[in-house]
Amino acid sequence: MSVNIEISPIFGRYTNNILNMKVEGKTVRECLHDLVRQFPDLKKMLLDKDGNLMHSYDFYINGENVYPKDMMKPLKDGDKLNVVFIIHGG
Amino acid sequence: MLTAKELERYDRQIMIYGFGKEGQEKLKNARAFIAGAGGLGSPVAIYLAAAGIGTIRIADHDKVELSNLNRQVLHCEENIGGRKVDSAAAKLGKLNTGIKIETIADTITEANVSQLVADSDLIVDAMDNLPTRYLLNRAAIKKGIPFFHGAVYGFEGRAMTVIPGKSACLNCLYHGATVPKEKFPVIGVTPAVIGCIQATEVIKYLVGQGELLTNRLLNYDALRMKFTEFKINRDPNCEHCGNTSGR
Repeated sequence: MSVNIEISPIFGRYTNNILNMKVEGKTVRECLHDLVRQFPDLKKMLLDKDGNLMHSYDFYINGENVYPKDMMKPLKDGDKLNVVFIIHGG
Repeated sequence: MLTAKELERYDRQIMIYGFGKEGQEKLKNARAFIAGAGGLGSPVAIYLAAAGIGTIRIADHDKVELSNLNRQVLHCEENIGGRKVDSAAAKLGKLNTGIKIETIADTITEANVSQLVADSDLIVDAMDNLPTRYLLNRAAIKKGIPFFHGAVYGFEGRAMTVIPGKSACLNCLYHGATVPKEKFPVIGVTPAVIGCIQATEVIKYLVGQGELLTNRLLNYDALRMKFTEFKINRDPNCEHCGNTSGR
């Protein structure tokens, strides 16, 4: 199950500025865990102690937001998962 | 009714197909509330003033610091140490003497937000923290007036327009997430772009032209010079705009 991930530019420093990558997983959680397996420096930035996405970040599936924000949300082969930093500066 | 001087001043935008004198009169009669006179509030206020928005009320409790001047173009070196709303009013007043500028140097709080936006036709969210953004979002929904959101970080920015009762709101977007307020990196050209997008949305809304940035989050990546969009659906259980008891 291959999913395309695009991450916010803010994460580029932890991924050699690679912002688009392929991961394996059947859920958002599995895909994020495969992402941090490929880029271990991302783990402390992205995931909390329970392995869930930290509150400072958000995700979109195929360009769309999802309710509720469930890490167990299933993903299909070829889906796109965007992981973004919640920015609030003015 | 537009004066001869106004007809001359706004001639180029009145020429825009579908805009006309009627559009300019709508701008003249509008009252905009701009929350924040910083990086985003500066371009928003400048371009709304230049466009002839009749009344601009701008709120900010901060004073001007040297480190603001890379992006907060409402203020100059001579304003350092002074209240941001004062330098904002002075600059906007010089730009356009035909509009009214109102200033509020108070902090926007849950206790005063309704009063501050009471007679405004719209709210521009140019804040630097999520809690105040949520307060303003809720106030806009309660009052039934549009809310124009913008945010920046580094070379990245986002914008979304909220029409209460019709489109997803800020809380649908961020679902109550909170991020600690902290010093954030930014270069002036980023809020310049996002602030201009917010001002554009305000003008489109008031004139009634085009398609608003509703149910869409516009993401601006300046380093890759790329705009992308995310579709934002209304959250039926949103505590701000959904059918919940928390509304």
